[in-house]
Amino acid sequence: MPVTGPESAAAPGPGPGPAPAPGSGAAPMRVVIAEDSVLLAEGLRRVLADAGFEVAGLAADAAALLRLTGEIRPQVVLADIRMPPTQTTEGLQAALEIRRRWPGTAVLVMSQHVETQHVVELLAGDPRGVGYVLKERVADLAQFTDAVRRVAAGESVIDPEIIARLVARPRAGSPLESLTDREKEVLALMAEGRSNQAIAQQLWMSPKTVETHVGSIFTKLDLLPDAGDHRRVLAVLAFLRQ
Amino acid sequence: MNPRLRAALIATAVAVTTFQLVTFYVSGWPGSPAPLYVFSTTVVLVAYLVTGLIAWQRHPDDQIGLLFTLTGYAWFLPQLINLHYAVPFTIANATAFVYQGCLGHLGLAWPYGKLRSRADRIVVAANYAWNIASPIAANLFWNPRTTGCSASCPANLLMIVDSPRLYHDIGLISTLLSVPVTAAVIALIVVHWRRSRGYARRAMNALIWVSIPVAGYITILNVADVADLSQYNVLIYQVGPLLLAAPPVAYLVAALRARRARGAVSSALVSMEPGPHPAKLRDALARALGDPTLQLASRTPGAAGFTDTDGAAVDLASLPAGRMITPLDTPGEAVLVHDAELRHEPELIRVAAAAASLALEHARLQAEIQVQLDQVRASRARIVEAGDAERRRLERDLHDGAQQRLVTLSLAIGIARDRAAGADPDLEALLESASKEARAAIAELRELARGIHPAVLTQTGLEGAIQALIERSPVTTQVRAVPSGRFPAQVEATAYFVVSEALANVAKHAQASAAVVTVREQPGRLEVEVRDDGVGGARAGSGSGLSGLADRVASVGGSLTVHSPPGGGTRLEAVIPCP
Repeated sequence: MPVTGPESAAAPGPGPGPAPAPGSGAAPMRVVIAEDSVLLAEGLRRVLADAGFEVAGLAADAAALLRLTGEIRPQVVLADIRMPPTQTTEGLQAALEIRRRWPGTAVLVMSQHVETQHVVELLAGDPRGVGYVLKERVADLAQFTDAVRRVAAGESVIDPEIIARLVARPRAGSPLESLTDREKEVLALMAEGRSNQAIAQQLWMSPKTVETHVGSIFTKLDLLPDAGDHRRVLAVLAFLRQ
Repeated sequence: MNPRLRAALIATAVAVTTFQLVTFYVSGWPGSPAPLYVFSTTVVLVAYLVTGLIAWQRHPDDQIGLLFTLTGYAWFLPQLINLHYAVPFTIANATAFVYQGCLGHLGLAWPYGKLRSRADRIVVAANYAWNIASPIAANLFWNPRTTGCSASCPANLLMIVDSPRLYHDIGLISTLLSVPVTAAVIALIVVHWRRSRGYARRAMNALIWVSIPVAGYITILNVADVADLSQYNVLIYQVGPLLLAAPPVAYLVAALRARRARGAVSSALVSMEPGPHPAKLRDALARALGDPTLQLASRTPGAAGFTDTDGAAVDLASLPAGRMITPLDTPGEAVLVHDAELRHEPELIRVAAAAASLALEHARLQAEIQVQLDQVRASRARIVEAGDAERRRLERDLHDGAQQRLVTLSLAIGIARDRAAGADPDLEALLESASKEARAAIAELRELARGIHPAVLTQTGLEGAIQALIERSPVTTQVRAVPSGRFPAQVEATAYFVVSEALANVAKHAQASAAVVTVREQPGRLEVEVRDDGVGGARAGSGSGLSGLADRVASVGGSLTVHSPPGGGTRLEAVIPCP
């Protein structure tokens, strides 16, 4: 029986925040997959199971996804953006609905489209525990399961391809021009939803250096410096889409 | 008219006029005639003779020309008095009032010279009889040398008894009786006027205005014979005759107007461009012909009878008296039903019928072309719509088919590579490169699918789709406004196509540093504007894809304008109808 609205907020469950790492001895993380291609759904189930997730349900359309989510209360939902019956953005709408009904459930939307519009729509509410990745990311199993884990842990995950599109967009007289190459790299990772810690690891710098870069970026772009890790994704995205 | 007859009439008129002028100066009467008198009497003579000729020429079958001519000569006869000899003197006195009989005849036969009824004929006959008989009767007893003239007057050859008393009494009776006879003529004229309708009404209106001065003058003239009005002699005898020129002048004015009406027919038609409406055509013809009762009746396809422009049935087989039918030369059956009096203006009717036929034919062709145009437009819109639907289907097929399979394939390769990891480095490297190829194929296919039809347009509408376009534009592009609501698929697709093509042109040809996209929703339409600060000089058909864009916008009934002065940037505006 689906639990709706405010009660679910108080209900115990995987809230935003560090989730137990699969395979670390704690109970495995429950995942529901919504994907109308049977072959792909089966492949995903296998990959996630191998990575230590418990695939608790497979849905072939948005209605089934909502029903399963209510019944199973998974920590993470993996949803194809385009599903029957209209093959438009049912997955996206279902993700937003899940976030509304069960705010603790993380949602990773998979798409074939490099469209910032979808990302903005998805992140418009609370960006914690929300992600948007291109479907072909499944080719790199480690990267893919990492994205699922990060969303489950409450991070915002945005496909680098989309960020690359936004950062590469030409702008005349934009403050972006005044960023150094290093700062641009940091900015792109920030927009992807990476934490300072993750950025430091990825770019081989000390967290202190990352902080300095972030501070400098915020100043140059005239953004609010005190935005938290998650809000800053929205701030940076909004800036990039200007 | 026979040219010989015409020449003879003209020669006679000139001769008589010359003769009358000569009589004033060879008269032998003491003193010279008053110049004003010479002027008035000559003007009246010339007016009747000239009008008679013109009327004869215009309507050879009508008697009106003859009537004017006869009235002119009747007016001339009393002028013989100017010759100081007994014969002309006697003739002039005996025929002094014949012209009044002619005037009565003219008034009752107006405007085509035909008497309408028995009453007309009786009154005209009485009027002639009286105006011929009474002067002769009076002259039988008049000795000019003793009564009303002087000893130097020529002799009255008609006199049988010199009786001033009888002469006076006959004159008095004649005068008293002339009043009711004139009144009868006027009364009948009023009856004619009241009965007149349509085209004839205008001519009768003119006659009413003309009758007032003529009848008034004649009455005064007759009364002056018995009453002593000698202090008004100059007014009555020298200026007064000019009033008698009113009928010919009125006739000439009407003739000029009829001639102008032919021009009015064509100008009425010209003013109706484009696409004459039958009711408007009828009004224009009615005005031009001067017949407010004119009907334009046509047979509606499939219907039995004729209907006029007000939709009323017209029974051509039993028209009321005084109506006449002129058939029009059109493929569909149509006729003009008009006042029968217009048969006197055959040329006018012919011009009007030709013009009406032309206008109706024009209207028919225009309607036909409009229908064809509507069909072509609808079919063009359907073709474009079908093309769009086909593109959407292709994109969906790619997405659900090839793209999905490639993703599944990538996943399978990924799993295989995972399995091979550590065990077989060669296989791992091979699978890694296969995975890369698959991803590249996915990326290429994605752009291909996007080019065929952007899914984001169907999914989220113009706002997201245009945002995606400017993110892909290699030129700095700003969106000033885009409505966030949804519109019909054709409207969205067209607006998107405009922005997409315009930005592609900016990138390819404009050498611009910045572009601005504005889409505004107005009542009933969507206005799309893309402007840049580039080199300008863009023209449709110069390989810029602008003509294709114009076709595309036109397919939904919209319009595309390009302002692109050399060196002044390019502004492209599309207006797309949006129900």
